[in-house]
Amino acid sequence: MFNIPKGREVPFGCVTPAPVGEQPMMITGNWREYRPVIDEEKCNLCGNCVVFCPDACWQFNEADDAVVWNAKYCKGCLICVNECSHDALSKAYELDFPDGVVRLEKPF
Amino acid sequence: MPRHNALAKEAAVTNVHEITIWTRGVVKDKEGRDVANGIAAAADQDGKFTQAFDNYVDLPDRVNVPLRKYARISDQEIEMRYDYENEKPEVVVVVDATIVKGINVLRGMQKGGVLVVNTDRSPDEILKFVPNRELLKAVVCVDATGIAGSATVDFSGTEGGVDAVGLGAGLAAPILGAFAKATQLVKLEKLAKVVKNKDALRRGHDSAVIQTLN
Repeated sequence: MFNIPKGREVPFGCVTPAPVGEQPMMITGNWREYRPVIDEEKCNLCGNCVVFCPDACWQFNEADDAVVWNAKYCKGCLICVNECSHDALSKAYELDFPDGVVRLEKPF
Repeated sequence: MPRHNALAKEAAVTNVHEITIWTRGVVKDKEGRDVANGIAAAADQDGKFTQAFDNYVDLPDRVNVPLRKYARISDQEIEMRYDYENEKPEVVVVVDATIVKGINVLRGMQKGGVLVVNTDRSPDEILKFVPNRELLKAVVCVDATGIAGSATVDFSGTEGGVDAVGLGAGLAAPILGAFAKATQLVKLEKLAKVVKNKDALRRGHDSAVIQTLN
């Protein structure tokens, strides 16, 4: 058969799992002025925020039955706030929160 | 950027005051540019040598990206023409307050610098997000958004084009007023000659809160 070097094997059909990762060279968390804040009571897990976020910053957490926000990459576009079907998301000014400090030396 | 040795000696002899302005792309780009050009134009009226330019590495201009504008003032002719960034800013102006949280705005500042921020919060609240505050001599807070309204979104003058709108019609005017109050680099009367919205300029000057540290 073929002599495939070890470590370069590819799964059958070349089906690879979807990459779950981030690009640390382009951290965009410091682009936002407003951040989305979720009211867990109102959230019905419709998934609009997960689907509409252009940066994939809302992820489903099946175990906790909630959606999780990514502070490192959220650009504060507020599309999720606009698309939320049950008014669970609202915007808040970034300086009100001591956490989520991305703190870069240079912009990128 | 490594400097040629001869130029390094020149720069050491001439005292160049470097000012860095942090602002947000597209929506507050004109404001940042107005602050840089306003500082340079006012210092020019005083007979100083000036430079004012955008930062190149922060391009392309995207909405809300943090980017820099630069101004330089000196009593002698400024020899640094090929330094495209301000390595040692004396004054840092932040047009959008949330930038202090995400960027080390005081990078390169020598001890005794001034930080000017457009915010309605107190200097203490801003200092919470600045861990290297020992570099600062003073923090100035001015509520430019409250005085002059929201930013002028205008592409006039972007990337070298001719600026047809004029200087200081929006947020930049109160920020320039606060800048004149906090530093001795430009005078308020000279700024009033180049800025369009003189009322906002004076209100920014009067309402700026200066907190001295160290």
